[in-house]
Amino acid sequence: MHIKYSFKIASTGLKTNKSRSLLTILGIVIGITAIILIMSLGQGAENLILDQIQGMGSDMVVIRPGREPSGPSDIGATLFSDSLKSADIKALKRKENVPHLKSIAAAVIVPGSVAYKGETYSPTIFGWDAEFLQGIFNVFPEEGTIFNQVDIDTKASVAVIGAKVKEELFGFNNAIGENIRIKNRSFRVVGVYEEKGQVAFTNIDDLVVIPYTSAQDYLLGIDHYHEVMLMVDGPDNVEVTITDVERTLREAHDIDDPDKDDFFVVSSQAALDQISTILGALTIFLTSVVAISLVVGGVGVMNIMLVSVTERTREIGLRKAVGATEKDIENQFLFEAVMLTGLGGIIGIIFGAVLSIVVSMLVKKFAGFDFSFSFPVFGAILAIGVSTGVGLLFGIYPAKQAAKKNPIEALRYE
Amino acid sequence: MALIEVKNLKKVYQEGETQTTALNGVSFNVEAGDFVAIMGPSGSGKSTLMHVLGLLDEPTEGSYTIADKNVNKYSKEEIAHMRNEEIGFIFQSFNLLPRTSVLENVKLPLVYSGIEEKLWNNLALDAIKSVGMLHRIEHEPSELSGGEKQRVAIARALVNDPKIIFADEPTGNLDSKSGEMIMSIIHNLSEKEGKTIFLVTHETYTAEYARRIIKLLDGKIESDKKVEHRHNSTDKFIK
Repeated sequence: MHIKYSFKIASTGLKTNKSRSLLTILGIVIGITAIILIMSLGQGAENLILDQIQGMGSDMVVIRPGREPSGPSDIGATLFSDSLKSADIKALKRKENVPHLKSIAAAVIVPGSVAYKGETYSPTIFGWDAEFLQGIFNVFPEEGTIFNQVDIDTKASVAVIGAKVKEELFGFNNAIGENIRIKNRSFRVVGVYEEKGQVAFTNIDDLVVIPYTSAQDYLLGIDHYHEVMLMVDGPDNVEVTITDVERTLREAHDIDDPDKDDFFVVSSQAALDQISTILGALTIFLTSVVAISLVVGGVGVMNIMLVSVTERTREIGLRKAVGATEKDIENQFLFEAVMLTGLGGIIGIIFGAVLSIVVSMLVKKFAGFDFSFSFPVFGAILAIGVSTGVGLLFGIYPAKQAAKKNPIEALRYE
Repeated sequence: MALIEVKNLKKVYQEGETQTTALNGVSFNVEAGDFVAIMGPSGSGKSTLMHVLGLLDEPTEGSYTIADKNVNKYSKEEIAHMRNEEIGFIFQSFNLLPRTSVLENVKLPLVYSGIEEKLWNNLALDAIKSVGMLHRIEHEPSELSGGEKQRVAIARALVNDPKIIFADEPTGNLDSKSGEMIMSIIHNLSEKEGKTIFLVTHETYTAEYARRIIKLLDGKIESDKKVEHRHNSTDKFIK
């Protein structure tokens, strides 16, 4: 029988029962919508995270005190959180210990707020190395300058602030040379960063950077670091540098057994791989949950096709009487089921794409991330394949039932 | 060689424990171009005979040869093609597809034939013209009267130019005026087109349009006679 004619019969059948057809494919529509949404948002999230991590550069190695947490409730991981000190930096800086080290910086996090003439604001306050930050994030001051190694060594009370912090505290007034207060200690603003937004999960605009030595001494009263970052002279040397760092620190801390490390090292590349793996697994998991809804949808289609076969018993009898073979009848009903689910698939793809665009726009607007919509081409092809596959799978039984009908009984059927 | 040869045809229906014998050894020959009426009270096996002859049902026993082809030897698919090419059906209850135009209804047998699609329209229009329904081709069955529906059904039966027409109580659901028109068309199919026609009816008057009447009783042929005084297409139709 001709494809064109099959298409015509099937669409007439579907049009005759418009609302029933739509309700039948609702399950398929929802399932496909969810698949497209998950895949699109998963792709968007992955792109975003990759982008953020790549903003940090792939030649970065981060050392944290304590041991790598094995899970969110791993309290033991916070032990030895004061293990990284200035002696470690000195050891790491030695060429014979870590030959591929390009630069190194320590960082501490200062909780609290900043104040200027009665205006108070709570930004992210880092005790850090402003030159190192400029090197890894590629972020430059729009006004003034940044502090340097001398300021760090002399524990100067200086600060570089982000564009948003400047706006909150100073408005349109000049900030350079003014004194802001952090925990009742005065810091002179020497620079204001250009507007940059999110880089490597850090909102540069919302940042206050002061020398880490000053932060340790004046604000926190500690002599350890929260994090030590180092740049490697090339991405190919990241692996060997991690080994060098571990060896050096174990030596410095008198540790023989790697299981007893009081620090852990992560590279941006490792983080990248890990996140890609997690997101991939999550996407697969969610997609398989959604696949259940497609099975339910498929059963719905099968049910309605069986009803349709019964309703059209006479039609089947007549078609057989005028010469339709069993195959012709089977194909007709199978085609109708596939058209039904395929239509559901197409509607689902459109819904899914529209919803993804809306969600990515909302994320962009309210979370400040550069979350771009990406149409999952693979997902769409998969969706078309899956939805027509569901039609074939769940349409075959009703179609066989139709084909098997005895023409005489079918013609007599009232 | 006769067009149709039936030898010792038996049909037994098995429903659970009970066996029903609908045909119990029926034999006859029909020459090409003959017009045969099959009569008998309900339960006599006339519908079963027509279904077997029309290839809608298989006999339990006996042989059936149509145009030198012994149907026992053919597959279901080949039987379907034979139904399509050799046979046209006219039913008591018309059996037109609802919500489908007259033109599309008449085209239906062509869909399952090997005939090229571009020829379908003209073949269908020719068949519709022969039953005088050209003015209604875009109408749906629900918009037609009973007589008109049956004329469309006849056009559908003719569209593949089959050798044999089976008419199962074609006037059973019609008033006498429409019935007269339908019988006159069927009469002309026999006289002018040379079709071989089987007409199942329980009305003696209708049966007398045929050349020959086979009467069945309890699954056997009770009588097989030539019709002495045939009606023709101009006769008044009496129910």
